Amino acid sequence: MAFSVRPVAAISSRGPKGTVATPAKQQHILFVDDESSFLDTIRALFTAWSKSSWQIECATSADQALEILKTHSFDLVVVDVNMPVLDGEQLLRILARRYPDLKKAVITAHATEQRRSACLANGAELFIEKPRSAEGLKSVFAMLDELVTWKQQAGFQGMLRRVGLQDVIQMECLGRNSSILEIADRKLTGRIYIEDGRIIHAVVGEMKGEAAFQKLLALPGGSFELQHFEPPSEQTIQGQWEFLLMEAARVRDESTPEAAPAAEPVMAPEPPPALETPVGPTSFSPRVAEMLICSGQGAPLYQWQCADAKTRVALMVEITQQARRVGQLLGLGKFDRLEIQLPTGRAVAQVKPDRMVFVQVATETKSA
Amino acid sequence: MNNSIEQWFASCGVVPGILGCGVRHPDGTCVSQRFHDSCSRERLDQALQSLGDSLSAFSTHGLAPRWLTWTFEQGQLRLVLRPDGRLLALAIQPNTPAAENLDLLTEEFLALNFAA
Repeated sequence: MAFSVRPVAAISSRGPKGTVATPAKQQHILFVDDESSFLDTIRALFTAWSKSSWQIECATSADQALEILKTHSFDLVVVDVNMPVLDGEQLLRILARRYPDLKKAVITAHATEQRRSACLANGAELFIEKPRSAEGLKSVFAMLDELVTWKQQAGFQGMLRRVGLQDVIQMECLGRNSSILEIADRKLTGRIYIEDGRIIHAVVGEMKGEAAFQKLLALPGGSFELQHFEPPSEQTIQGQWEFLLMEAARVRDESTPEAAPAAEPVMAPEPPPALETPVGPTSFSPRVAEMLICSGQGAPLYQWQCADAKTRVALMVEITQQARRVGQLLGLGKFDRLEIQLPTGRAVAQVKPDRMVFVQVATETKSA
Repeated sequence: MNNSIEQWFASCGVVPGILGCGVRHPDGTCVSQRFHDSCSRERLDQALQSLGDSLSAFSTHGLAPRWLTWTFEQGQLRLVLRPDGRLLALAIQPNTPAAENLDLLTEEFLALNFAA
């Protein structure tokens, strides 16, 4: 596959399944953790919950895991991050090189956004915080079960949840990639076309354009696959991807005000839209530092890490007035947006009759 | 007009899609050049003054712009702030070589040596 950026594949966070149907096939799973008591618990519980369809092997170090992998094949390896000598991230890197088709998941007691990004960049399909309760373990089991029974198809495929899908789109856009993101759930299949980092078209059923894009991003679960880019028959989307994602987030949030009760919080804390794009010794890690969506009258509709929404609204009003003045002066027509290049990143303000949007993206430079 | 600006304005003239450009000096004086009938020097100066004055609004809001791009239906306006206080306004048409080279033009302006 010619994808330059590996998309984040995150598992639908449905929470505990309760009784899990017995998978038809025996699954071979290797758990790697230096905490042997945790491994004992996992082995006992997960074997029982899988009705013995999971064949669980355990290793208490990365070295031991690599030795086992030389003689046994597995469907899934679940790795702890904090291990002495060779840690989980290093192990993931080795596994990605030696066993590219092997599914990998990370389970850690110390979940941080940085660690999550690093693990996903190193090939983990799933990043889970170590649970502290039996219910939490059930959720972990359900997620791993979903991962291990998910059938690999040609091309990259992952399970999606909201942030996961947004991350993929964000990475494709920031990486200025061209691809088709095919998204499906049980009822419908849609496509999002990204060309040179611009979202140019979306289609789902009879729906096209921004409405289709929003519908696809509002799906509560399903699967996606990144495909090679082929130009669509038409281009129905022109806006900036940041705004499209934010608008989709707003529409989704408005359409699901009464969300289902949260499951046991076993996933890592919901991260801000973020990504790691390894590009060599030095990499740039853009992340959305602030976002605000208001109505045309300035009433906040959606905000994320916005310290003072009122102040931001005031700024956008000033921008609108200034844009009107300058637009008329130079005959440039209707104002669309203002992009601000900052020492630490950039900000974009867009003013439409029915909404105002402000987003600030911070760019951090990291040395490998 | 300063030689550096004069030469740079002249070089801008060969880039298709530039409507006009102007520079505001730290003392408040403006020099501008138009490359298209739709963009008079007087209006460019006014826009430059107005946008220059509005920059303080951003710092009030905790933002320190290096440059700003105002996008309209029929054009873009790039405003570039140099550390020495000089301010450039560059009005361009969309989907033109000027639009494609906006960042390059910005870098050129930032690298201009006004002491020469």
